[in-house]
Parts: sequence; structure tokens; C-alpha cells
Amino acid sequence: MSLSRFLIKRSLQGLLVIWGVITVVFGLRFISPGDPANVLLPPDVDPEVRAQVIAELGLNEPLYVQYWQFISGIPFGDLGLSLVTRTPVAARVVAKLPATLELAIAATIVAVVIAIPLGVLSATRRHEPADYGATVFSLVGISTPNFWLGVMLILVLAVQLNLFPTSQRPIGLDGIAMLLAGGDVGAAVDGFVTWLWHITLPAITLGTYFTALITRLTRSGMLDQLGRTYVRASRAKGLPETLVRYKHALRNTLIPVITVIGLQLGTLIGGAVITEAVFAWPGLGTLIINSINARDWPVLQGSLIIVAVGFVLVNILVDALYAYVNPQVAYD
Amino acid sequence: MISERTRRNLRRELRRSLLARLGIVVVVLMVAMAVFAPFISPYSPSQQNLDNSRQPPLGFSTKETKEVTKMEDGSVVIENGQVVTETQTVYTNATAAHPLGTDGNGRDILSRIIYGARTSILVGLFGTSLAALIGVLVGLSAGFYRGRVDDVLMRSADIMLAFPSLVLAIALVGVWGQAQAPIPDPFVTTGIAPAFRSAVGLPTGMPETVVLPGTVIVVVALVNWVWFARVARGEALSIREEEYVKAAKALGASDGRTMLRHVLPNAITPILVLATIQVAAIILLESALSFLGFSGADVSWGFDIALGRQYQSTAWWISTMPGLAIVVTVIGLNLVGDWLRDALDPGIEGEGGV
Repeated sequence: MSLSRFLIKRSLQGLLVIWGVITVVFGLRFISPGDPANVLLPPDVDPEVRAQVIAELGLNEPLYVQYWQFISGIPFGDLGLSLVTRTPVAARVVAKLPATLELAIAATIVAVVIAIPLGVLSATRRHEPADYGATVFSLVGISTPNFWLGVMLILVLAVQLNLFPTSQRPIGLDGIAMLLAGGDVGAAVDGFVTWLWHITLPAITLGTYFTALITRLTRSGMLDQLGRTYVRASRAKGLPETLVRYKHALRNTLIPVITVIGLQLGTLIGGAVITEAVFAWPGLGTLIINSINARDWPVLQGSLIIVAVGFVLVNILVDALYAYVNPQVAYD
Repeated sequence: MISERTRRNLRRELRRSLLARLGIVVVVLMVAMAVFAPFISPYSPSQQNLDNSRQPPLGFSTKETKEVTKMEDGSVVIENGQVVTETQTVYTNATAAHPLGTDGNGRDILSRIIYGARTSILVGLFGTSLAALIGVLVGLSAGFYRGRVDDVLMRSADIMLAFPSLVLAIALVGVWGQAQAPIPDPFVTTGIAPAFRSAVGLPTGMPETVVLPGTVIVVVALVNWVWFARVARGEALSIREEEYVKAAKALGASDGRTMLRHVLPNAITPILVLATIQVAAIILLESALSFLGFSGADVSWGFDIALGRQYQSTAWWISTMPGLAIVVTVIGLNLVGDWLRDALDPGIEGEGGV
């Protein structure tokens, strides 16, 4: 199968999954014991007013009409209105996206920058102290709940040593870009420093699990590659060891590592939700938690759809990348 | 179901690996702690003592400055018609009565950790079992029947995978609410534990029920069954081509019987390895839900970490201790998982944590 056909097939499958996601999210409201009208109305409301609100929300329509109303707006970016604020859900979700995305990206950068060299070091110095150190680090990193790590980082580095702020995001990359666009370079640099200072602890909190995971993967992948015949052949041919290790073995190790990074994106977003809760980071996670507490179903549903659709799209992208760098892959 | 060769591999790997033995010890200790909580817990996990709050753990003491009424010769000092106050430094020393300290309400942290183990282990075991049950049924059917059944089942698995497990879990618990089932603690209701406690001089009044967080168990299973489905499907796909499966079919065995008697037993090893890792993942998930206040549990490691946050500048141990309990338990389970994987080498994938 050619690459383009593979991509078309993969995209169609993705569309099917997205449709499933939307349907599951639609169904979520019906397993909830509460009535959405109760969110808007006091319990002792006049039954007539109540009936009117239910009609306005379209809740007395037949199920298929409600389903169609829910699903038909989504391709045009219409995720409905918040029950609480009566503002479009899509705008609220999009407004929260930058905070979550920059947290996820910062965490990924932390993870990749630390984990890949550490994994390589661990594999090339097998059974030396560096290897044991890296192995213990990755075991502990995989086993530590990130919210607790965040609480500990706040406790030690923010409360006791006062090196970092405990929470908040006074400025985001979007704000910095705006400053740059306005030509105020000085303020933009200041803003960036503030941003970096505030995102450090959340990024470490979110990134540690991935650092540990990628260290493990890089180590085992690298060990596997270094044991292959082509490595022995290159060494026998007289290629310098650095070239064998870092050009050939490492490159082949990175392919599965990249796939896993893509696949773990869901875990990353899940982790971001709780990291945001620890650091009062005003992103999608905070929005999701607040919408559950306020019983604001449309906001919850919209956020879930955005997260899941994003995940599906990234996975298609990762698959395409994988197929591109590794043309032998049997397109499944 | 477990062959002699498998057992030999397990033993060999266990002799070779110190970490595997460490993992088993940790897991056994944690399970024992959870089971025998009413015997070994120094106090009831909910017993408050407000005069004794925020006591540091053994080896630590705290220094706090307080505004107190100035006293001279046993009477209050009054100047210009007002009571005079002075700053006094108050030292709180650790006592052996509370080796891990006390929380903001003066509850014993060690007792809360011991009882919290019950919540974690109940959710871990029941959640994993339910996830395995759903996942194995789905995966075996998908791999065994292939074709359209496979397509439908595995596409629904893909839909589940599109949601980050924590996000889906929060949403499900959020919309469902928190149903909990208090089940009587047999050690307490039969009087064995109280008798033991008064015999050795421990305070009595232990909780008579164990709270089974029903919704949380169902939810963690619903978000994690997919991993079992994938592994079971992969196994079923290859096992269905084996001669003995074809022979069973030729002899007229029903599909159900073939799957349960011939396919499942041969797929059990990777499922067991996955289950070990999943117990760890589900314990992490439960603690995250409790931390966010969504699980409804009031004795849970994650919940206690959240409770300790309001004392982060005065009593660091309240959040620290339950977190250490989670880390130790999950490390133990991961080490056991590594041991099983190295010994049995099933080559599976699976999600690790929160």
C-alpha cells in the first residue's frame, strides 16, 4: 500500500473514531442522574418556568433531534452554550488551550532533553553507577504520582526555599507573542522570564513520569540495537564508536521512542489536568474540573471532545511520521 | 495452567534479581497491612484530637511563634487597660505515640496510612479484576472471531483510548456521583480485633465497616479494560491458528468452550503480567481521583495529600507521608511486574500511570 493510500485509510478510521467519541460524549449526559435544567433553576421554581427552560434548552425534543443538534454544529466549531454562563463553549475551551498546550510542550521538552541522553548513557555504560542511577531514577519516576511530586516541589522549592512561585500563570506565550507583535521587545523578554519562572515547577511535575518512561525505552531500545549484527559489522568495518552509537544505533532507537511519545499524549493531557489543579494553572484541566463541580455539562462535553479529537489527530500524525521515516513498516 | 517450565523461570529470575524480591516483600507487606489494619493500626483513622494536631514525625520538631497573653506571677498583665500579649516560641516535639506525626485534626497519620492501604488495594484489586474481565472477554472474542466482530470491538477500544484515562475517569465519576458500599469489617464485627487490641493495650473503637468505593472501581475498570482487550486479542489471534484449537473445533467444541478452555489458558501469562502493572496504574488513578476530591473516599492516600496542602508551610509531613506510601506501593508492584515480565517475557505494551 502506498503512503498516500495508507494516510487516507488512516484518516477515515480517525474520522470514525471521532464520530464514536462525539457519540460517547453525547451519551454521557444521559447516565448522569441530575437534570440539566436544575443547574439553571432554583429547586422551588414554578413548573411553568421550568417547562419553558427545558423547551429552550431543547431537552424535550426526541433523542435523535437532540443528537442531531449536538453533532451537526461540531464540524463548524459549534459546541453549544455553557449552562452557567450562556456563552459559547468553543470559545471558552479555545481560550484555555494555550495554557494547557504550553504546559504539555514544556513537559515534553523537559522529558526529551533529559531522558534521551540519560537512556543512551545508561545503555552504553551498562552495569556502571550511571546505569544504576538512571534505572533507579526511572523506576521511581514511573511510580511517583505527579500531583504528589507537584505538592512536594511546592513544599520544598516554593514554600521553604522561596525559589519559585507556588502557582499561577501571570502571562502566557500568547501574551508574549502579542507583546512582540506590538514591538515591545523589552516587555516581551521580561514576560518570557516570568513565564519560564512560573512554568518550571509545573513542567517538572508533568514531565517526570515521561522522563522516566522515555529513559527506560531509550535504554532498552539502545541495548537492543547495540546487540544487532549491523552494529557489529560497522564496528568491524572500523567505524568510530561515536558514529556507530549516535548515528546508527540511536537513530534506530528513536523511531519507537517517538511513537510512544505520540501514544502517551493522552496520558500527558490527563497528567496536565491534575498538574493544573496542583498549581492553579488556568488551562483545560481546570476548566474540566470546574465544569464538573458546576454541573456545566456542555462545557465538560466540549472539553472532552476537543481533547479526544486532538489526541486522534496527533496519533494520525505520528503514524504518518512513522510510516515516513520507516518505509518498510507494514501498513496495517 | 502454570507449567513447570514457567515456574522454573520465575524461580530463576527471583534468585537472580534482588529487586524482584524487594518488590514481593513490599507488596506482601502492603497487603498484610491492609488486611490486618484493625489489629495493627495504633488508633482509629478518624479519631481526632484537636489538642494534639500537627505533631511532627519522629526525628523532627517544629518551632512556631505564637501571640500569647503575657503572664507575670500567674496573672494577666494589663497596661493602659489592655491585655498585653507577647510572642512566644512554641516547640512541638515528636512523640512515640505518633511516629509519623498527626494531621491538622490531630489524627494519627500512621493509622490513616494503614487504613488508606485498604482503599488503595480494594480499588486496585477489584478495579483490575473488572477491567481484566471486560477486556479479556472483548479481546478474546475480537481475536477469535476476527472480521466484523474484531472491527467493531477494536474500534470501540480505539474510541476509549482517545480519552485520556484520568480525564474520562474524572468525567464519569463527576456525572455519576460517588456511590459507596460500606461492608462490615469481619475482624471488628466478630470481636476478634477488639479483643486483641484490649489484650495488648491498644485503644479500641476501630471503624466497623470498610468502605468499598463502588463508582470508582467501576470507573477505573471502564477506562482501563482496553489494555487487556489489546493483549488478549493479540494472543487470541495467534493461538487460534494452533493445532489444538483447530482440533477442539473439529471435535465439535462450542466457541465459548474453545475460548475458555483452550485459548484463554494459553493467553493467561501476558494477561497476568499486564494485571500486575495495571494494579499499580489503578492505584495511581484512584489516588489522583481522591486527591481531586472526586472519589468520595475519606480515608485514602490521595485524599490525605490534598488535606495536607493547607498546612504546607507549617506541617510538611501531612502531605508527604501518604505520598511516600503510594510511591513505595507502586514501586513494589512495578518491581513484581518487571520480575514477571523478565521471567515470562510476554512482550506486551501497557499504560503505566497518571
